Amino acid sequence: MSAASTNRQKTNTFRLLAPGVVWMILFLVAPIMMIVYVSFWTQTTFAINSTLTLDSWRNFFASEAYVGALWTTIRLWLIVLTLTFVIGYPAALYVGLLVKSKTVSTVLLVLCVIPFWTSFLIRVLAWRPMLGKEGAINIILQKVGLIDTPIEVLLFSELSVIIGMTQIYVVFMVGPIAFMLGRIDRNIIEAARDLGAGFGRIFWKIIFPLSLPGVVVGAIFVSVMVLGEFATSGALSGRKVNLLGNIIVTQVGSLKWAMASVVGVILTILLGIVVAGFLRIVDLKREI
Amino acid sequence: MESKVLKPILAVYVGLFILFLYGPFIVLGILSFQQGPEGGPQFPILSWSTYWYQHLFGLTPPSRIAPLPVGEALVRSLTLAFMTMVTATVLGVMAAQAFRKRFRGAGVVFYLIVLGMMVPGVLTGLGTSLLANNVVGIERHWWSTAFLAHVVYTFPFAFLVMLAILNRFDGSVEEASWSLGVSPITTFRKVTFPLIFPGVLSAMLFAFTLSFDEFPRTLFASGRDQTLPLAIYGTFSVEIHPNIFAFGVMTTLFSFALLSVYGILMGLSVRRAKKMAMQEDIA
Repeated sequence: MSAASTNRQKTNTFRLLAPGVVWMILFLVAPIMMIVYVSFWTQTTFAINSTLTLDSWRNFFASEAYVGALWTTIRLWLIVLTLTFVIGYPAALYVGLLVKSKTVSTVLLVLCVIPFWTSFLIRVLAWRPMLGKEGAINIILQKVGLIDTPIEVLLFSELSVIIGMTQIYVVFMVGPIAFMLGRIDRNIIEAARDLGAGFGRIFWKIIFPLSLPGVVVGAIFVSVMVLGEFATSGALSGRKVNLLGNIIVTQVGSLKWAMASVVGVILTILLGIVVAGFLRIVDLKREI
Repeated sequence: MESKVLKPILAVYVGLFILFLYGPFIVLGILSFQQGPEGGPQFPILSWSTYWYQHLFGLTPPSRIAPLPVGEALVRSLTLAFMTMVTATVLGVMAAQAFRKRFRGAGVVFYLIVLGMMVPGVLTGLGTSLLANNVVGIERHWWSTAFLAHVVYTFPFAFLVMLAILNRFDGSVEEASWSLGVSPITTFRKVTFPLIFPGVLSAMLFAFTLSFDEFPRTLFASGRDQTLPLAIYGTFSVEIHPNIFAFGVMTTLFSFALLSVYGILMGLSVRRAKKMAMQEDIA
């Protein structure tokens, strides 16, 4: 290729990329930098000014409620992540690998995605009549005769937040795993079976390792969404469960921008560690 | 052999799994037909009625339960979703088009774009409002700051969809067009674009629905005028009534209508492509 045409190609690439890149720098990178910067600003009663101070950071680590929110966030994240994996993997195994017909597998995947066509907030709210004291689950359990008195801990507790989040996010685990399982060459499994390997052995030696990139992608999706959550915990816990996201919302509500920013920075760091950790398990670039 | 046992068990399991996904929504659908205005958002159903649907459209006599403030919010949300869809899709197609050629720094640019869908809405929302308030000094509105944040969120989806489409794209048809002396812009319009149109439709669908339902970014980045998700969120803190369930059913129907339009457009474009291919065969 001649130098002139290489140059023309370069300007062309540049022109195509510039708008998107500029948009992301101005409206994504700059806002995040701003959060870091404002976390060191001075907070007065109703305003902030740009005198740098560590006060907000000190206040965060001195407050039991704030540090508690950090631990609650980590605990809930670990529980929901485990549950989405444990509940999602068998479903993905069936949809992605065991179903022979491509049509059935597609139909099942579409069925999993359809609930996403309802507003996220309404899906959260739908758990209230399900879990409440006079909710569907309690009524069914009582009718069947499993319990005499309704279980009250189902709603407005940490449990209801965990149930709600697991249901909302489990599909993000199923999708990537089913996708990776679908790409496995069936001949490998066939060959292993011909050589006398049992299903357990085939699963642990072939199927699971090959599906691992899907697990990692799913785990990243779920982690990112659960760590940044505040709506589900707000709606289903009756303000009993406070995540980092909830703290940010209440702080902004009372115009405490500096403290909201401190929590924002901590959340960003937490996310960075989690995502980087997952990316160490599998080199995604090589897989895709 | 083991899979003979395993398969039926897992089939039953998947059935239960789907029930788990749908359960709350089924309950919500049933309760939306609760009697009004006395019936509450729980069982038992006092008597079946469409009261709450009428309530939603303001067709019931005034009662102590205020109607949902959805009218104006719906218009705002639709406008915002449309603006976001157009911008995100244009940016996505352009960026994905650039990625067809190798260039230095491709990895960095890729991650910069994908970052937009990975950073939680709380953070982009907070950062955007901090910038607007304290650096630029402008008021926040759903059509300004919230729009910027929505594009940051949806542009990566449009980009990834287009990237997947263009990866499977046969570049030789474009080269043929260029070698016949057709300008790159005309080639894109007449050759490339019709071929990638199904992908563009999917990108648009993604951007529109994601923006329409977007909540955390909007909560921080929009001003006092509410979009639809904000209006729903507003009902969280007060007592809830079955009208919100009826509204949930209505929005789902709306989504399906949107999905049907997408399906029809997709079907038409596939049929047209087939027709063109057939004509080529004849020629």
